[in-house]
Amino acid sequence: MGMSTGSSKGAVPSINVTPLIDVLLVLLIIFMVITPLKPARFEAKIPAEPKDQPQVDVKPNPLTLVVNIDKSTKKVTLNNADAGDTSDASALTAKLKEIFGQRESNGVFREGTNEVEKTIFIKSSPVVKYGEVVRVIDAAKSAGATPIGLQVDSLE
Amino acid sequence: MGMTVGGSEEYNSEINVTPMVDVMLVLLIIFMIVTPLLQQGVSVNLPRDMISPDEDPDIAKDTSVIIAIPDNNNFYIGKEQYPLTALGEKVKKLMENKTPDKRIVYIKSGVDVDYGRVVDAIKTIRKQDIDKIGLVADRKKGEKTQG
Repeated sequence: MGMSTGSSKGAVPSINVTPLIDVLLVLLIIFMVITPLKPARFEAKIPAEPKDQPQVDVKPNPLTLVVNIDKSTKKVTLNNADAGDTSDASALTAKLKEIFGQRESNGVFREGTNEVEKTIFIKSSPVVKYGEVVRVIDAAKSAGATPIGLQVDSLE
Repeated sequence: MGMTVGGSEEYNSEINVTPMVDVMLVLLIIFMIVTPLLQQGVSVNLPRDMISPDEDPDIAKDTSVIIAIPDNNNFYIGKEQYPLTALGEKVKKLMENKTPDKRIVYIKSGVDVDYGRVVDAIKTIRKQDIDKIGLVADRKKGEKTQG
């Protein structure tokens, strides 16, 4: 009777594994939680290197939206109109949503396409903290702005 | 009578947990090994709780180019530090053999870094014929991707 267990006579030699499983499950869950979340990013366009050739006169696009961040007051302006500040960018989101909504109902399209023009340019002083710029980008993106262009030349 | 279990008139009603424990142990070991590998590069105080960044699994790939700017004085690619002047060459090298749609450089910058430093990095990047960058940011937990 090689492996017979639980016969009427003698103690049953079985290890209680329940605590072991408990500990393992908890460890497993801890590691699953620690594992980082999916990474995310804002896609932004940057202008090409300026060429030496003489400047070509480009017809200004009346649909261009430029968001500017002031270096000292941290005020955000949208095409020179006030749009809150960096600590609370929801004013910018609201303004952009309104503009895009109007464009959608009026059928204002990007030249040569049938997409609504939602291009936006972000211009910020170099002394502003990156975190504040990203907050503004986030506000613009959540209003549906795309593509987002970063202005990197002639910043004051 | 090799594996006779139980007495002549009793049944053994215990669940055999040994395979489960085996699986758990293996999973545990896998997670223990994978976790440190997932954290590549230097640690950066990324912007957090952003509403609208798009998820991009490419960021975690080994082949993608990520410039980390943890503070105002340092630029890292991977775990190595590069001066601003050498950044361009390195990016150029890493961007070789990439199809145009994959030519994107990710920037992981700390929130306290001056925007000017990020612009410096961008100016170096664009010299390498790249017109797209990805600003890495952490999404707010529980926010759904917008269509």
